[in-house]
Amino acid sequence: MQKLAPDIQNILEAKEVYLKFPQISSIKYAIKKVETSKCKSACPIDTDVKAYLGLIAAGKFEKALAIVKRDNPLPGICGRVCVHPCETECNRNEIDQPLAICYLKRFLADYELNSTNSTNSINSTNSNNSIAIIGSGPAGLTAANDLVRLGYKVTVFEELPVAGGMLYTGIPEYRLPRDIIKIEIDAIKKLGVKIKTNTKIKNLNKLQKQGYNAIFIAIGTHKGLKLGIPGEDKFEGFIDCITFLRAVNLGEKVEIGKKVIVIGGGNAAIDSARTALRLGSDVHIVYRRSRKEMPANEWEIEEAEKEGVKIHYLASSVKILGEKGKVVAMECIKNKLGPPDASGRRRPVPIKCSEFKIEADTIIPAISQQPDTSWLSANHGLEISKWNSFVIDEETLATNIKGIFAGGDCVTGPKTIIEAIAAGHRVAKSIDRYLNPEVRSEKREARVEFEVVVESKDKKERVLMPELPINKRKNFKEVELGFTEEMAIEEAKRCLRCGFCAECSECIADCDKRLVALSIPEETSGILLRVPLDTNQFPLNGGPLQGKLSRTDAKEIPVIVEPITARVISNLCRGCGDCEEICEYSAPKLQEQENGVKICSIEEALCKGCGVCASICPSSAITMNHFSNSRINTLSVKSVDEKKIVVFVCNWCYPMAQDFKKLDLNSINSKNSINLIRVMCSGRITPAFIIEAFVQGADGVIGIGCPEGECHYVNGNETAEKNFEKARDILYTLGIRPNKIKLERLSAKKPEKLEKIIGSFINTIR
Amino acid sequence: MPMGIKDIVNRTKAYHCLDCGKCTSVCPISLLKEDYSPRRLVQKALLEKPESLLKDEFLWWCLTCSMCDEICESDVHYTEFVRDLRAEAHKIGQEGVYAHNGTMQSIMRMMTLSPTLKQNRLDWLTKDLKVKIYPTDSASPTDLLYFVGCLPYFDKFFTNLELNTLDIAKSTIKILNHLGIEPILMANEKCCGHDLLWTGDIENFKKLAQQNIEEIKRTGAKKIVFSCAEGYQTFKQEYPKHIGALDIEVIHISELIAENLSQLTTHNSQLKVTYQDPCRLGRFCGIYEEPREIINAMELKLNEMPKNRKSAICCGTSGWMNCGTYSKQIQLARLTEAKSTGADLLITSCPKCQIHFKCAMNDENTPKEAKIEIQDLTTLIANQLNKRKKDVNE
Repeated sequence: MQKLAPDIQNILEAKEVYLKFPQISSIKYAIKKVETSKCKSACPIDTDVKAYLGLIAAGKFEKALAIVKRDNPLPGICGRVCVHPCETECNRNEIDQPLAICYLKRFLADYELNSTNSTNSINSTNSNNSIAIIGSGPAGLTAANDLVRLGYKVTVFEELPVAGGMLYTGIPEYRLPRDIIKIEIDAIKKLGVKIKTNTKIKNLNKLQKQGYNAIFIAIGTHKGLKLGIPGEDKFEGFIDCITFLRAVNLGEKVEIGKKVIVIGGGNAAIDSARTALRLGSDVHIVYRRSRKEMPANEWEIEEAEKEGVKIHYLASSVKILGEKGKVVAMECIKNKLGPPDASGRRRPVPIKCSEFKIEADTIIPAISQQPDTSWLSANHGLEISKWNSFVIDEETLATNIKGIFAGGDCVTGPKTIIEAIAAGHRVAKSIDRYLNPEVRSEKREARVEFEVVVESKDKKERVLMPELPINKRKNFKEVELGFTEEMAIEEAKRCLRCGFCAECSECIADCDKRLVALSIPEETSGILLRVPLDTNQFPLNGGPLQGKLSRTDAKEIPVIVEPITARVISNLCRGCGDCEEICEYSAPKLQEQENGVKICSIEEALCKGCGVCASICPSSAITMNHFSNSRINTLSVKSVDEKKIVVFVCNWCYPMAQDFKKLDLNSINSKNSINLIRVMCSGRITPAFIIEAFVQGADGVIGIGCPEGECHYVNGNETAEKNFEKARDILYTLGIRPNKIKLERLSAKKPEKLEKIIGSFINTIR
Repeated sequence: MPMGIKDIVNRTKAYHCLDCGKCTSVCPISLLKEDYSPRRLVQKALLEKPESLLKDEFLWWCLTCSMCDEICESDVHYTEFVRDLRAEAHKIGQEGVYAHNGTMQSIMRMMTLSPTLKQNRLDWLTKDLKVKIYPTDSASPTDLLYFVGCLPYFDKFFTNLELNTLDIAKSTIKILNHLGIEPILMANEKCCGHDLLWTGDIENFKKLAQQNIEEIKRTGAKKIVFSCAEGYQTFKQEYPKHIGALDIEVIHISELIAENLSQLTTHNSQLKVTYQDPCRLGRFCGIYEEPREIINAMELKLNEMPKNRKSAICCGTSGWMNCGTYSKQIQLARLTEAKSTGADLLITSCPKCQIHFKCAMNDENTPKEAKIEIQDLTTLIANQLNKRKKDVNE
């Protein structure tokens, strides 16, 4: 294939941006956009994944980071420990492996660490409203970040000596280094958020009286649940996973034995096991279902097994065995899987007489957690569920007490960081609306989702995350080492860009004339849209929609506005090469197929849409978007008026449609029915159009093309000359006088002459 | 006659199909387009929703070469099956992709518009060609009418292929003159409608047929000679079917010449030729031997192609429709076959065969093995007559 100019190559590769109607002098680009890609809709906070991936691929790391930070104040944290539902939904799953979206987010956070520019800016305070946030976990931090940016005074209260909540106390350092947490929290602090650590709130009422206009409870779930089996309270050697991880993470001295059993299958269980392993213990996990049902992240389970954790699947703890007041072993029983329970997972059913013992001196239950509400004053009045969680209004996240909101794990039970961040955002918006009911009462946005067809099927392996070797992991050093710039770009380039436009907004930023509009016009709720940038500026848009996206019922119907280009119906191509020869823009290319047959294809980016190739293609294999044979022939439909004149007009030879109306053609029209048919170039007028016009009852056919040397497609008008000559010859044989077929030259500079030309043509044929 | 799909199935004996697949094994399109298969279309009509057939793109890919009819042991008339289904499909607005952007179809429809259309279709006649032009010249009922067909239009349209299609008409007249016949030519002859019929436009086909028959009746002629295979077949087989029996004898020029072999001049050369049986002349009308007798009588060496007579491969397209990649491949293969016989000249008796083959050879990528000179049988004979005339004069 011929090497294309870099600009064209970019357009071809990017696909999102294309020349709308390259035929019209003021060149318009359009952006092809489909909302919303799966990665975005899978993300609880609607991260513009495509946007930052696209920007990474383009090497614009800072801008990519800005996109990430727009929605996520904790990119370094999420980039490491997010469960990334986006990757689960990624369309690349159908081809090879999903994009490493999470790692790429981390890459950006790492990039920021190493650069001197900080993209965070401090907003001026413009509100006197103060907000108290209880808990400095991801939900609290996100809400704080959002609210401080909206101009509120925000204070975060944290009971523990460090901020970060479960991020700090729950997630081990080898997965999430402490300095990363500190840096991201510091960035939020820098915006003006006050974080008071070592501060335990005891009375919400009092807090309100202190002048906080709104309170957000984001205390997470820091209470580990008990196993509820015999021996649990009898022997020493028990530590629940929350307490255990918190102690280790806070650097407190934790004494665990050499033989540790962790009970449970969630991430907390795996974290506890891998942490215990790093403290030098031999670790067993006991999980009651099979690996398939294990709720922990697949990759975490893999790493744990790699590192030497022994996992007993399909086993339940039965009782604790102890000696001298200390745990010595745990009795377990084997399970098989029965029918699914309420959670949809298959229920474990114990197998009789299959008890076995695992020796242990420490047992870490990691079965579930609940919010610790013991701090609340006796008369707090808040509605609490039977799981100890806060009951809230689903839409506003407000509790039953005015001005008090709750969100994150303490409402939902233990969930993911990204869901906590989402809750933080929602609460921040809700508090903002609560405090400014008039000003910010805009509707809560609905999310639109579409099925995106995976167009590319090219396989490309996912870039692997460099990791700390197994033998160097007996410590709390971070296991995943992060992408280099080259790796990040390579990985980001795998993105399929489902839905085309990545909405990175780079075009808006770059356009100093503010001509770019990314939003879909309101009247079109179509699913598949190629949105022209400014439809009003296209008086001459071709196509059935006339450039206006006017469907209001298009919820289910794709609306596609295509550029005017030639298209080849491949099995009709005879490979004669006539098109290749006649095209001045090298758009048609003959390419040899597997069976040795040569077939033409059109390079859309090079095609200017004149239609000259279509007019000479012997097998009619080339057809024009919007200017197809059938459409043009339909335009010259039979009329009862016998004096009908069909005028094929080149796009350039007459002024644009509105101007044309200004011409006084009415005087001619009253006596003769004039049927104007626009074509891009007079070279498009194939002899068949002319003959067919006569079949349809035309009294004369006139073609209007540019003068010699003025053709807008180099020399399409020469082809017009030949086509008219041929039509004239054939029609002469059919008994039509040659003067009834005329090709006239009209300069685009003198459109007013059109009237005169048509007038005198009519006179000659009468 | 309204022709529902059921009628078509009955009439063409489609229900006899045993699904044996012999048709597919000889179909030139099936060889190239793997998902195309005549029997599958038949089965669709029999077993699935027959209506869907009418919107089936495959309907328009059939060459109508009749190769499958020839091999079918159940006597299914597949070609007719397709022809009539196309007519049904055409009624609901379906059509194939017309070559040359539909120029040919437009010309044909143009001719239906007015019975008195004043064509300028005979301005190529020269004085040495002795003819009677109807209605200007007087004619007697014993005169033979020569149906020129589309040749004047091809001459105007295919300006780039060095076809000289009118040579066929001129040669035919020369031969007729040589045989002492001064044929009638109709100034307002219409297209025979063959291509409209085979692309489903029955309505306009019938108009043309009626206009032609009426005009012929006016001339008083009782016998018509054709230099083209399609016109001949259309008059002989299709007109009676669609507009009733004709009181006119229809012959092909090769039949006429074969009756007068003694009047032919021998070629006296080492020229080796091969012969392309046009589908309409051969498989449709059974004229296989007459052209061969003529060639032999001219003492030319006839090198037969391996696939000849009943198994002759089609020239790749028909009805100016769906003439694409597969057509080109069929044409190149057939030309290669012709060339490999060692012949210097490929002879045919259908102007369309010539056009299609020449078009295939026209592009620069055509391999040497597929390049061979092509001539119509009439031109070959007439040229020889000219030569003799010259010899005599000298």
